[in-house]
Amino acid sequence: MVKHITQEKINLYAEASGDFNPIHIDESFARQTPLGGTIAHGMLLLAYVSETMARAFGTRWNSSGKLSMRFKAPARSGDTVTVAGEVESVEKEEGASYARCSLECRNQQGEAIVVGEAWVRLK
Amino acid sequence: MPVTYEELTVGYEFPPVSYELSASLVAKYLEAVDSADGDAVPPLAVAARALAALTEWLQLPPGTIHASQDFEFFGVVPVGAAVGCQAKVARKLTRGSMRMLVLELSVSDKSGQKVQSGKATVILPA
Repeated sequence: MVKHITQEKINLYAEASGDFNPIHIDESFARQTPLGGTIAHGMLLLAYVSETMARAFGTRWNSSGKLSMRFKAPARSGDTVTVAGEVESVEKEEGASYARCSLECRNQQGEAIVVGEAWVRLK
Repeated sequence: MPVTYEELTVGYEFPPVSYELSASLVAKYLEAVDSADGDAVPPLAVAARALAALTEWLQLPPGTIHASQDFEFFGVVPVGAAVGCQAKVARKLTRGSMRMLVLELSVSDKSGQKVQSGKATVILPA
């Protein structure tokens, strides 16, 4: 899945989520921080990750998914974020099967900005 | 009255908050995340609103950023549902000028059934 980040989308996400932290929406504030400018909400990037899993596993994701992600670098307006995942193994636990997936978001430079794992119940 | 990082202690439980995941709110969220899925509330929309609702009781400084996030989903949340969120401080770390906070959240539907849980690790600005 490929998503293009714009400041308009970040602002829209701030309104939709209720997260108005100025690091995301106030360029003059963000420029004075070590990040040097506004960044996308981490939860916006995770929304892309979750959508990727929902596309792959349907409602099973929404009802039995498990996600563990780390933010390694920020995404900024103008970035193109590619979400990719892979089923690493199928594990059995208490009579149920779970797919364990590796997941990552990379920017247009190929830098991994969000990495982690997800599990989803198969049956 | 919101509490600050300095006032928090490990194990502190925030007062429960509840919120409605209305059709208009879900539509706005889907537009913001560039998605067309709309039969149920996206689990990350439930989570995002839970974190936002928490700010009613928790005042973190501007510039606070996410370091990591865990979630577990237990059930689909229908559009229009009301949910409640409970949160507590799992860890509080200070290393030099770096301050981190780990919050555990649990979201339940109106019947009290847990629909998701999560753990957010945030870094506060120096």
